[in-house]
Amino acid sequence: MENLNIAETKYTPVINLSIDGTISMIGKSYPENTFEFYEPMMNWVKEYFETSAKDVTTVNLEITYFNSSSSKLFFDFFDLLEENHEEHTIKINWIFDEENESAEEAGEDFIEDFEDLDINLVSK
Amino acid sequence: MAEPESKLVLEIESLKATFEKTTTKLIKDIKRHDKIMIRTDRDQMRELKKLEARLEEVEALQKGQKQLVDSFIKLIAGAIDAKSKYTGGHCNRVPELSEMLAKEANKSNEGIFEDFSMETEDELRELTIASLLHDCGKVTTPEYVVDKATKLETIYNRIHEIRTRFEVVHRDLTIEALTKKLEGQNHEEVDAWLTQEHTKLISEYEIVAHANVGSEFMQDEQKENIKQIAAKTWTRNFDDTIGLAHEEKQRILSEKTVTPGIEMLLTDKFRHIIPREYFDDKEYESMGFKTVVPEHQYNLGELTNICISAGTLSVEERFKIQEHVIMTIKMLEQLEFPENLKNVPLYAGAHHETLIGTGYPRQLTKDQMPIPARIMAIADVFEALTASDRPYKEPKTLSESIRILSFMVKDQHLDEDLFKLFLSTGIYKEYASLNLKPEQIDDVDVEQYIN
Repeated sequence: MENLNIAETKYTPVINLSIDGTISMIGKSYPENTFEFYEPMMNWVKEYFETSAKDVTTVNLEITYFNSSSSKLFFDFFDLLEENHEEHTIKINWIFDEENESAEEAGEDFIEDFEDLDINLVSK
Repeated sequence: MAEPESKLVLEIESLKATFEKTTTKLIKDIKRHDKIMIRTDRDQMRELKKLEARLEEVEALQKGQKQLVDSFIKLIAGAIDAKSKYTGGHCNRVPELSEMLAKEANKSNEGIFEDFSMETEDELRELTIASLLHDCGKVTTPEYVVDKATKLETIYNRIHEIRTRFEVVHRDLTIEALTKKLEGQNHEEVDAWLTQEHTKLISEYEIVAHANVGSEFMQDEQKENIKQIAAKTWTRNFDDTIGLAHEEKQRILSEKTVTPGIEMLLTDKFRHIIPREYFDDKEYESMGFKTVVPEHQYNLGELTNICISAGTLSVEERFKIQEHVIMTIKMLEQLEFPENLKNVPLYAGAHHETLIGTGYPRQLTKDQMPIPARIMAIADVFEALTASDRPYKEPKTLSESIRILSFMVKDQHLDEDLFKLFLSTGIYKEYASLNLKPEQIDDVDVEQYIN
């Protein structure tokens, strides 16, 4: 299994998926077709947990602005993490700018919905 | 317990479990969905407020910028008016009159005004800016040209005048010595001769002096007469190449003048020719300027100037005056006007054009002159005619000014429809009551011009 890197565009975040156990997404998320855009990432994460997961996996999410379908996708992504959290240690950092209320509230929503996941709100 | 039943129960239980799992998932999904919707709404509202705040900020900035530009334009217009007492409040009154005309032209649906509209604030602003700046090129026109009141007037090194006084003292000393020597002559004969010569000289000077004012057209025979007077000689005993700055000295030295020397009363010399510095013919042509450019920058020749047929300006000076529109256009075309003000250079630069290609600097014709440009042309002339703040001329009366406009309309220098609009709507009266002195305002027989 190989690392997967997707470069940043004006409307989509930079995505770095590394088999050394770090998953990171930084930027805005307004893809034209959200589910199509994130499909390679979702597939990679599934395969990672099935075949190559490290003892500890760190997920760093720093999404400044995102549309509602991205929001839905992040729920799906957290579902995927939740499915794997019993067998693997997963640390999630939801990073936001202290002035960005929307991002902060989104992080709070995720914590509320995924009680079993280890989600930290990290204010910059 | 019968087996089929327990199988059914098992099946039902299994279904119940799946059903529960599915409904739990569905409920979760619905809740999430609601959450996403609420959050999206909240985010949208937040974005909207942020955008509104930014819009307000941008609008305030835009307003500030517009005010800055407007005040800057007024400052330039004021500076042109302040530069020469000969322009008075011209640059600030032409916009006033132009606006009045534009508003009436906009209201009218007759003739050429049927398809004309100038109602938005931007369109009016474009015309106002153009009228405020129509003479901005005058900042480059030398004052001595703008204000040239007599034919021989120029920027002058008075060393030449001082030298002439020395010449007079020099001669007085010689005359005094001769008088003493010749005391034995017949006094009556000498006196008669001297009176005759003096009278002749005085009347000759009067002819030259009269011509200098340039108030009348000069016929060829008058010019001939002046040339004969000018050919009278006197002896210069003093060196006329000293006391001069580098540039004038160069011009005079190239004449190989000697001292003492025989000079004429009025003369054209090499020193009077100020050569034209570098001139970009290609640029001139590419910008559409068609006015003929004189060979020299200036010709200060005494004889040439005193023989100017009409007015006080030489060909070179007339071009220098006309060049102010060229400079206006060049200056305004350099400014990055936004789309809504893109016509400012066109409107401002056409106020000396006529409708038949005889104006300057582009020799435009009626179809090349949009209505706002024609409005400015008429406003420019009317303001100049009626202005009472020009020290060099008496202000004309309202009826006289309108009569002159009517001649210019007849010669197709000004637009007839605009002239009629100017009269029929009563703008001329309104403008007069605001800007003319009471003694200038007389009755105007509007009917004779309209019909």
